[in-house]
Amino acid sequence: MSMRSKSPWILHYNTGGCNGCDIEILAALGPKYDIERFGMLNRGNPKQSDILLVTGPVTLKCKNVLRRLYLEMPEPKVVVAMGACTHGGGVFRHLYHVENGVNGIVPVDVWIPGCTPRIEAIIDGLIEGVEIWKGKTKEKEYLVGHGDDLLKKIGAIDD
Amino acid sequence: MMAILFTLFAPIIGGFMYGIERVVKARMQSRIGPPLLQPFYDFVKLMEKRPMMVHSFHAFMGIVFFISTWFAMAVLMLGNDLLIAVFFHIISILALTIGAFSVRSSYSIMGAMRELIHLVSYEPVIILVVVAFYLVTGSFDYRMILSADTIPLLKLPLVFIALVGTIPMLLHKSPFDIAEAHQEIIGGPDIEYSGPFYEAVYTGRWIEYVYVFFLVFLFGGSNYFVGGLLVVFTFLLIMAIDNSTARLDYRKMLKFAWFILIPLAIVNIFFLALGGNS
Repeated sequence: MSMRSKSPWILHYNTGGCNGCDIEILAALGPKYDIERFGMLNRGNPKQSDILLVTGPVTLKCKNVLRRLYLEMPEPKVVVAMGACTHGGGVFRHLYHVENGVNGIVPVDVWIPGCTPRIEAIIDGLIEGVEIWKGKTKEKEYLVGHGDDLLKKIGAIDD
Repeated sequence: MMAILFTLFAPIIGGFMYGIERVVKARMQSRIGPPLLQPFYDFVKLMEKRPMMVHSFHAFMGIVFFISTWFAMAVLMLGNDLLIAVFFHIISILALTIGAFSVRSSYSIMGAMRELIHLVSYEPVIILVVVAFYLVTGSFDYRMILSADTIPLLKLPLVFIALVGTIPMLLHKSPFDIAEAHQEIIGGPDIEYSGPFYEAVYTGRWIEYVYVFFLVFLFGGSNYFVGGLLVVFTFLLIMAIDNSTARLDYRKMLKFAWFILIPLAIVNIFFLALGGNS
């Protein structure tokens, strides 16, 4: 069980933010902050990832893609929401095209505050996410407030 | 006895090589990098994921890839015929591509096509390497090669260069990582595998490391020290190339293999057959 926590693979998805958070994530992969020390890799593939790292306010176009990515990740999995936009929309709050954060779409385990968060905060949040991930099991997890018609619409009804 | 042990522990040796590779790669980029046992942590983690498959045939082909790669290794070590082992390695690649073609993901299908282009690029060179070994030592048996009184490298310098040129294609390293192109088609043939089934593919790749670097080791002949030195040198060279180059087009890979590497190997074999010292 403890060996498992040494290899969290990250799926990073930007749901329409300003790319500031994404640049910070790239910096975290670089020589100075190197998150591969913890065995973390940025896989970019939902089927092989353990941590979903979401940035950006969820735009209406992105909403179902985010749901679908979440459902494609095999359990145990953890969602880490990063940046002010994911918390409630940030500077995009109450605009006509956003969903005001990820809270109503996928169940979030760790929130990383800041706009943009410092890289130390990102690493801290990811480690916190790994701690939560250690306690999770293969039990299936679901979206927030989903219905069967929604699952059918995004093609995830018969997984 | 030694051969059986080597075959049985091939995944573990390959895992260590992959771990060393990740550390060396990180140090070359002046990072600290993951711990040495990182591939085995990944192994345990993938084991504990919920098994999720696209359809059963696809998952089965992932497992067949692992088993047939290991079987190719076993044939190489126990069957004592290099040529047959090369053909069994082709079967393992075919299992992977058949699995990748069987799902509807366009990335997977594109990856499988590119994997076949990889096969077309590197396999003739590998076969020429085996033929060259036969000309030098008079046998396809790796034991005869390892007990030959000459160092094959001295007679086959161009063939060795050709083999080093194909290793990035075989192991999907940077100038020729076209099939698994991580920012482009996210893993290619293995994109749809997850959990324990991805583990099979992941471990199969470790065995490929052992398979390839064993071929490099054979160039040392009976002088194991030279063989070991060659393996270390090739490993570091491949890592350096991997870190310093960008991905090429598949046409360039094919042209590089067919118009540069294969003629190099053939010229060497040609002079060898004439009896001259090339």
